Amino acid sequence: MGNIFPRWTNLLAIKVLVCLGALGTCAIAVAWYSWTPKYTRVGYMPQQPIPFDHSLHAGQLGMDCRYCHSQVENSPHSNIPAAQVCWNCHGPGKVKSDSPKLEPLRQAMDTNYEKYTGQPIEWVQLHKVPDYAHFSHQAHVNRGVSCVECHGRIDEMPVVYHAKPLSMSWCLDCHRDPGKVLRPLDQITNLKWGADDLDPESFYAYVAGKTKVSVEDLKKSDQGKAWDRELIGAHLQKAWSVHPPQDCAACHY
Amino acid sequence: MRWFFLILAIASITVALAIGPRGEKFSTPPFMLFPDMDNQYKVKAQKPSEFFENGQGARVPVEGTVPFGYAPPKEGVSAAGPLDFSRGDDYLNTGLFGDFYGKGFPGEIKLDETLLARGKERFRISCSPCHGMSGNGAGIVSKYWAIPPTANLVDPRVKSMPEGQIFWTITHGKGLMGPYNGVLSVKDRWAIVAYLRGLQAASGN
Repeated sequence: MGNIFPRWTNLLAIKVLVCLGALGTCAIAVAWYSWTPKYTRVGYMPQQPIPFDHSLHAGQLGMDCRYCHSQVENSPHSNIPAAQVCWNCHGPGKVKSDSPKLEPLRQAMDTNYEKYTGQPIEWVQLHKVPDYAHFSHQAHVNRGVSCVECHGRIDEMPVVYHAKPLSMSWCLDCHRDPGKVLRPLDQITNLKWGADDLDPESFYAYVAGKTKVSVEDLKKSDQGKAWDRELIGAHLQKAWSVHPPQDCAACHY
Repeated sequence: MRWFFLILAIASITVALAIGPRGEKFSTPPFMLFPDMDNQYKVKAQKPSEFFENGQGARVPVEGTVPFGYAPPKEGVSAAGPLDFSRGDDYLNTGLFGDFYGKGFPGEIKLDETLLARGKERFRISCSPCHGMSGNGAGIVSKYWAIPPTANLVDPRVKSMPEGQIFWTITHGKGLMGPYNGVLSVKDRWAIVAYLRGLQAASGN
């Protein structure tokens, strides 16, 4: 009896397996790289109804974030300002009130304007956690986590874009080690703040007052350590006893 | 086999180019891999809602009702509208005694260091863009745009104003200045008045 299968079929099964393996590896590589908020969300830069320039208002003019986002310390939701707040500076006879870019604002606010509708400006939301996760701005900004940790350098963005992934693992990175992001409470909205802006003497005095450890002991324990965010954060974490929750129900309730 | 790997290589390069690096700017709404329950049909803060006629999720309280923690408007307050549930006619909330600006701070406001620190912080956030850090009317806005002059808060005119009038002005605005009752709570407005008194004393005018 002759051979049913020709000679080349001997290696066929192995070849098919190798090909499938290569294909699978490529597919996994694509998924690993792009099926994550680091790819799908970071860089999201939608067009807003008014091209509001944060780098001008918060950067160049040095306005505090809370001039507009006034309820961020009192509410889980950081408010988008009411049109009245824009109108404080851009109302008739004030700054750039005739600019065509402000058309939606005039429609919302200017009762003498022929296209007045009184309808709110429909800003596009960029930063969003899923509806089954509850994030509280209030809890974070009142405990030394700056805006910049989640939103990036807004004061340098002419058009705001999504700078951090806001994924769950990214949240947990901080909840497991909050020391690296904590800063003094009066610098929360100072996005360019760094360790060099903090005076060690007054900081040690503050920490000593909170922890009941003397300034000398604090300094002794810090000898040889670099004066950086990590060191400052570690002290603040102890002084405020910051223990971010890591259980599911902390955010998913 | 050779053909397969050639095609796979070409396909990989094509896909890689189509995907592009992480963090590239784009304006279309982000792709959601598993959108399950990410966007629930509940009313969220400052979000639209198809359920209501005007499309806004934020609701105006039903007429004649008062939210928890607020007092109903006092009888006979002429300006009280359906939304003025918190606006009593007392000095704390209006800065007025009857039709006159009151002098001094209301009894509910405790003048202490905490209040001044709060006032300083809020003044720098909400007032300094126009009135300047020292209150002299030369804020950052006046450096870039020729808008009509902003009030110098440390000159004798404002210094001689009763506290109630300054509070009333922050609440309702004046001239080109808009009302700040939406962004500053009653207590914060009094804290700013207190801090402003400090600035005026320090200015020596």
